[in-house]
Amino acid sequence: MKIFFHINNTPKSIEIDDGNTPLLWVVRDMLDLKGTKFGCGKAACGACTLHVDGEAVRSCSYAVKFAEGKEVTTIEGLGSEQNPHPVQQAWIEEIVPQCGYCQPGFMMATAALLEKVPNPTDEDIDKNIINVCRCATYYRMRKAIHRAAEIANVTNPAKTENDV
Amino acid sequence: MMSKEKKKVSRRKFLIRGGLGTIGVLAVGTYLFRNPIRRGIAGAIDTAETPYMGNTSSPIVWFEVTSKNTIVLHSPKVEMGQGTFTGLAQMAADELEVSMEQMKVIHADTASGNMDGFATGGSTSISSLWVPLRELAATMREMIKNKASEKMNISPEQLSIANGIVSGGGKTMTYAEVVKDVSEWDIPDTPNLKELKDYKFVGKPIPRVDLKDKVFGAPIFGMDAALPNMLYGSVVRSSAIGATYVDADISIASGMPGVIKVVKEPDFVGVVANSLIEAENAKNAIEVEWKVERTWQTSDIEEMIAVGKGEPFVIQKEGDSEDILNQENSNILKHDYKSPIGAHAQLEPNGALAHVEDNRATIMLSTQVVKITRDEIAERLGLDEDNVNIVPTFLGGGFGRRLHTPNAVQAAVMSKAVGKPVKCFFTRKEEFQNDTFRPPTHHVLKAKLLENGMIEAMEHNVSSGDVAFGSPMVPGIAAPILGADLGAWRGGMIQYGAIPNFKTISWRVTLPFATSWWRSLGLLANTFAIESFMDELAIVAKKNPAEFRLAHIQDDDRGFRLKEVIKAAVEKSGYTDEVINGRAMGFAASTDANTPCAQVVEVSIENKEIKVHKVTCAMDPGISVNPDQVRAQCEGAIIMGMSAAMFEKMDVEDGQLTPTIYGPYQMALMKNAPKEIEVVLLQNDDKPGAVGEPPLGPIGAAVANAVFRLTGQRLREMPLKLTT
Amino acid sequence: MKKLILYIISTLTVVVVFAANYKSKKAGYFPIDEPEVSTKQNAFNTMMDVVSHQRCVNCHPSDNVPKQGDESKPHHFGIARGENNLGFQATNCNTCHQPENNVYSGVPGAPHWSLAPASMAWQGLTRSEIAQAMLDRTKNGNRSHEELIHHLTEDDLVLWVFQPGTDQEGIPREKPPVSEEDYKAAVKEWFASGAIIPEN
Repeated sequence: MKIFFHINNTPKSIEIDDGNTPLLWVVRDMLDLKGTKFGCGKAACGACTLHVDGEAVRSCSYAVKFAEGKEVTTIEGLGSEQNPHPVQQAWIEEIVPQCGYCQPGFMMATAALLEKVPNPTDEDIDKNIINVCRCATYYRMRKAIHRAAEIANVTNPAKTENDV
Repeated sequence: MMSKEKKKVSRRKFLIRGGLGTIGVLAVGTYLFRNPIRRGIAGAIDTAETPYMGNTSSPIVWFEVTSKNTIVLHSPKVEMGQGTFTGLAQMAADELEVSMEQMKVIHADTASGNMDGFATGGSTSISSLWVPLRELAATMREMIKNKASEKMNISPEQLSIANGIVSGGGKTMTYAEVVKDVSEWDIPDTPNLKELKDYKFVGKPIPRVDLKDKVFGAPIFGMDAALPNMLYGSVVRSSAIGATYVDADISIASGMPGVIKVVKEPDFVGVVANSLIEAENAKNAIEVEWKVERTWQTSDIEEMIAVGKGEPFVIQKEGDSEDILNQENSNILKHDYKSPIGAHAQLEPNGALAHVEDNRATIMLSTQVVKITRDEIAERLGLDEDNVNIVPTFLGGGFGRRLHTPNAVQAAVMSKAVGKPVKCFFTRKEEFQNDTFRPPTHHVLKAKLLENGMIEAMEHNVSSGDVAFGSPMVPGIAAPILGADLGAWRGGMIQYGAIPNFKTISWRVTLPFATSWWRSLGLLANTFAIESFMDELAIVAKKNPAEFRLAHIQDDDRGFRLKEVIKAAVEKSGYTDEVINGRAMGFAASTDANTPCAQVVEVSIENKEIKVHKVTCAMDPGISVNPDQVRAQCEGAIIMGMSAAMFEKMDVEDGQLTPTIYGPYQMALMKNAPKEIEVVLLQNDDKPGAVGEPPLGPIGAAVANAVFRLTGQRLREMPLKLTT
Repeated sequence: MKKLILYIISTLTVVVVFAANYKSKKAGYFPIDEPEVSTKQNAFNTMMDVVSHQRCVNCHPSDNVPKQGDESKPHHFGIARGENNLGFQATNCNTCHQPENNVYSGVPGAPHWSLAPASMAWQGLTRSEIAQAMLDRTKNGNRSHEELIHHLTEDDLVLWVFQPGTDQEGIPREKPPVSEEDYKAAVKEWFASGAIIPEN
C-alpha cells in the first residue's frame, strides 16, 4: 500500500506491503532516520517516542498506516546544531546524556510536554515523563526540563501567556 | 609525583596511514605491558588497579592528525555512557597542546591494532590509561615539535606550541602542516609529563565530547549500523532455562515473504530476510525442538543459593572469629540478608551487523570486549584473527551486559551463509530471558559486641551465583588459582580493619542460567548486607552509625581515605538519627576498587511507598579527570542502585525467567529519582581511580537504614518492600 | 545417567501452554444455563457476563488508575485518569494506544481509547450495582435507555472486548464468555423487558 505523510516538514510517499508495520521501522530503515530508537517494541520504554501531529507517540506501537496525511517529527527534525530546540539546548547545558540511547525519546516526550504545559511542575514531569533510562540520568533530566521551559519562554514569551 | 614516571614508550617503527581527511597517522609506540593475564586477573581484584592490556606486538594507531588540524584519538576503550571518551580527550589534549575543540575520539577498530586485550569494564578505563595515554600524547607532541624544527629550520628550544600550532622565529606551522608529507619520524624518549596544576583540561568539568551526537540523534550506536545491501537476521531463542537446541522444522518459515534463507547450524537456527519485520515473522514460524532438563522455579534457586549449599572459600581472615562467635552469648547478633536476580535492562538490545566475504569479516556492534568478540568470530568462521575487523560503536548502555557477545558470532555465521551484510539483534523479551544476570545472593552476618559497644568479632558468609567464572574474560585456568569468585565477593570483604577478629567466606554456586558481570558486581548486594548489619550493630551498641563505623576503621592509607569520605558525607548532609518532619536519614559506606564512598539518604513514606528525597554522596576517586562526569556517574549510579535495591527482581516461573518487559520488570523512573543529589569529591590519592561502579555500593543499605529509623521496619531483603 | 525429559517447544505450543495456564489460574465466568432462571434474569446475566468482565472493568476503575491484563493489575508507569479521562497532558492513552490493536507490540487499541468517566467507576461493584450506575443519568453521561443501548451495542471501544487481540507475549487476551451476537441480543432484550435489575 501507498502511504503519504510529512516527515520533518518534508512530504514523503512510501510503498509498503504491510500497513501495520510500526512507524518506528519505517522511520529507521526506510527513511534512514536512526535517531528514533528501538528499546522494547512494546511501548514500554519510550525510546521510540516521536511526534505525530505534535503529539508524543511511541512509534514501535504505531502502525504506519495511521500516519497517512499526518506530520511526523523525529529528533532529527526537532532542532539542529545551528538551531537547537529549547529542549536540546537545555540538554546540552545540563550535560544530560550518558550512554545517550534513550535520550531522543526523552527529548521528544519533553518537547511534547512543553507544548502542552509550558512551565511544568515537578509533578507534571513525574506524570508525563515516564520513559526508561538505564543510566538513570533522571536527576539532570529534571533540571534540563525546567531549563528548557525557561529557554522556550524567553524565545517565545507570547506563547506562555496564551497557553497558561 | 609526575616526575617519577618512567620512560615507557619504546622506540619503535611508526606507521603512516592515509585516509579520508587524514594526512598522516602517527602510530605512536606500543605500550608495553607485562604478563597480561596474571595482572589482568589480579587487577580486577578488589584493591589493585587494572593495567591497560593493549597490543604488544605491532605498531598501532592512537592518533591521527587531520588536514583540518584536528586530532583523532582511536580509543581502545569503548564509550558506554561513562564519559571515558571525554576524559581521554582531556588527557590527550593537555599533553598534545591542542584545544578540546580540536580533539575527536573514535572507537579503535581491531584492524587498527589498538585493541584492548581486557575489556571496557571494572571502572578502569581512565585509571588504566592515565599514564600510557598521556605519555603517548606527550611523545607525539615532541615528535611534531622536532619535525617542525626541521621544517622551519629553528631549534626545538626556540619553538612554542599552543592549540596545535608550532610557533617560533616569527613563523608558525599547524600540526597538519608539520605532519604533511612526512614519511620518517624519530620517536624521542618519553618526555616528562606536565604537573597536574599545569593542565588546562584535566581536572576541569569539560562538556562531554559526544554530547551533540547524542542530543541531535546521530546514528552512533550498534543498532544504527548499516551497510549497502544489508539484510536482517533473527535467531530463535528458547524461553526455557537451560534449553539446548536439538533441531528445527523450517519448512513454513523458508517460504515466508521476504525470507532469503533459514540458516540451520549445529547449535542454533536463524532466519535472514529483507526486513526486520519479515525476519521476525519468519522466526516465529520456525518450530524448534529444545532439550530442557528441568523446569526450574524460584524456590529451586533460593534453595541453591542458601549459605552452606555451595563451595566455600575463606577470602579474608584476621584473628579468630570462629571461637568467639561459636559461644552462646547474648551479645552475639546474627542476621540474614538477600538480594534477587537482577537484569541489565540496558536500553539498546544486543546485536551486531556482520559482513563476511571471502576470507574477511567486518563486524559492527556494541561490545565491551572487542578482542574476545574478534577471537570468537575468527574461531567459529575459521578465519585468521587479523582478517576479522571489529568496529565498535557507541554502546546504548553496557553495565557488563556486553562482556559476552555470542550474538555477534551468530550474525557472522548468518552473513557468511547469505554472502551479504546481516544485522541481527535481540527482541526485548529475548534480552530479559537470555541476559547474563546479576546473581541472587544470600548473606549471613554474625558479630559479637563487647560491653563498650565495640565489635570483638564479625563474620560475613556470602553465597552467590557465579560472576567471574564462566565468563570468557576469565580464563579457565584462573578458577583453580582464584578459588572464590572474584566478582561475587566484590565489596564482600569487611572493610573495618580495626575489628580484631573477622572472616569472610564466599560460597560459590553455579546456577542453571547465566549469571555474570552487572555494574559493580557483588558490591551492591554485599554492601547492602554488611552496611545494614553494621547499622543494626550500631543501634544495639547505642552509637551514632557513622561514629560506630569510624571507630572500627584501621589507621592506614585505605582507612584514612574511608574515614574522610564518611566524615564528609556526615558533615555535608547534617546526618542525624532523629526523624524530622516525617523524614529520616540513613547512612552507609563502601570501598570498591580502592575508591571509598559514603552516602546519606533522606527518606519519607508516601502512599505506603519509600520515597527518597535527597542523597549526599562523598567519594574519593583520587584525581577526577572530569569532575562533572564523575558527578554524573555518581548521580546515575545512585539512582540505578536505588532501582535495583527498591524495585527490580527477576523470578523463575515454570522454567522461564520472568518478567520479560519494562514495567513488570519495575525500575526507577523519573518520579522515583531524588530531587536532590549532592556529590562531594575528595582527592586523597595522586592518580585517578575507579568511578563508574563504587557509588553503587552504599545506596541500598543507606535506604534500608533510613527506613528502619523512620518505621522501625528492618528490611533485610532486596527489593526493599514495606510490610504494611 | 540422568534421565532427560525431552520438551518440544514450538512457538505454537508455548502459546497453548500459556493460554492453558491463564485459564487454570482464573476464577472464570460460567455460562448461564440454569433452566429455572427467568428469561429476563438470563438476559441480565448474559449482558453482565460481558459488562463485568475485566476487559470492561479494567477501564472503569474506582481509583482513577486503569488496570491491565487478565489479572487487572494497576497500569504500569503510573498512568492515571488525568483531567479528561485520557491520561496526562502530553503522555496520554494515545501515546501508546491507537485505533486498533497493534499486532507487533501487543498494545491494545480501539477508537477513542480512554477511561470511562469517574462517575462510571465499576471496579469492586456487584453486577446489580454496575447496572444501577449504568442506568443512573447523573452518572452515565445523561444517557437515555435508547442511547445506552446504542453505546453498549455499537460503540467500537465497548465492542473491543470481543476483539481484544493478543498481549505483548502474543498470547490471546481472554474474551468474555459470551459471543458478541448473544451479548447484543441480551442487552436489547434486557432493556426491552424494562431494564429490571435483580436483587443481589
